[in-house]
Amino acid sequence: MKNELILSKKSKDFLGNLRVYLFSSGKKQDEIEEIVDELEIHLSEAERDGKSIEKIIGKSPKEYMEMVSNEMVIDYRTWFKYICIIIFGTFSFTIFPDLLEGNLSYSVLEIIGHIVIGTIFIASAFAGLKYSSTANQSFKKQGFILAGIAILPIVLFVGLIYLNRAIDTPTIHFGNMSSLIIGIITTLFIIGVSIWTKSWILVIIIALLTLPDYLLNLTTVQHETQLIISTIVTFGGIAIYLWISSKLKKNK
Amino acid sequence: MSTTQMLKGIIDGCLLAIIKDKEVYGYEMAEKLESYGFHSFSEGTIYPLLLRMQKEGLVVSTLKESTAGPKRKYYSLTPKGELELNEFIERWNNLQSNVNKVLRCESDTKDTKGAEIIEE
Repeated sequence: MKNELILSKKSKDFLGNLRVYLFSSGKKQDEIEEIVDELEIHLSEAERDGKSIEKIIGKSPKEYMEMVSNEMVIDYRTWFKYICIIIFGTFSFTIFPDLLEGNLSYSVLEIIGHIVIGTIFIASAFAGLKYSSTANQSFKKQGFILAGIAILPIVLFVGLIYLNRAIDTPTIHFGNMSSLIIGIITTLFIIGVSIWTKSWILVIIIALLTLPDYLLNLTTVQHETQLIISTIVTFGGIAIYLWISSKLKKNK
Repeated sequence: MSTTQMLKGIIDGCLLAIIKDKEVYGYEMAEKLESYGFHSFSEGTIYPLLLRMQKEGLVVSTLKESTAGPKRKYYSLTPKGELELNEFIERWNNLQSNVNKVLRCESDTKDTKGAEIIEE
């Protein structure tokens, strides 16, 4: 069992930032935990002896983080895993609603654009995390950076939709069988990710994005009313889910 | 040149020497270095060095229970580490005697020159 160590806020913040910095530098999770644990013990013993954090990590936390990072190997396998999950994850957001409307068909531009946007998102997210873990900025500025990272892919996806209308690229049409197979693979993938991450967020968001539209389509409700209801249900549902899960987390 | 720059490489050898005597954990090593007079360096710098020495197979670490708090990581020397320590000692003795010779001879001549100027 791990006993709680007594640590100042400054030291705790530093360890938190170190963890984020090493993670966004693509280092192995176990190795990160190991070095962070070791430093945690060192910092708590040093503080008990009345030493300042500067005595331990020097004047520049950033330099110290770099020094530690340089001695650790990059975990390419895990990186690859994250990249695949994020790219497939974004694909599944479009695949399910499209499947309910019939067979799948995507233009080459859509497929490539999807992969490129996914990659840009991952790169910007990691760069943003790394930056915010080393620089000493205000809370406001950090929020600004994170919001920018979140908005960037949305803007790019909207841009892709318009670009796809403007430029004609060959379209790949999937038949009944291949659409079904893609649907099954995507379902298995989502279930797998949910079990692996122990979170149902992906399933819930996809269900909220897909099901209201689909179910309302089966009713005789007017088209405009359908649109309004499905939007409210989707975003209201996501908001409620996030609210409930944050409550559950706090109670833990 | 700052002391920190001069210390690079030297701390490695000192750590090997400290680990050789008995299994030690990080904080103990830093304390020992300090007790020998290394006050100016940041204690945390030993960890990147230990990571590298572990990767190079010079030291190994084991987690051990401690009476106060969580498990500590204790380091001990491998046979390869002992060889490296012996090489370090040789290198250091060489370097030290050379630097001393330079400083002794050069400052001697300077002193005499200085003395002449004053006499004139």
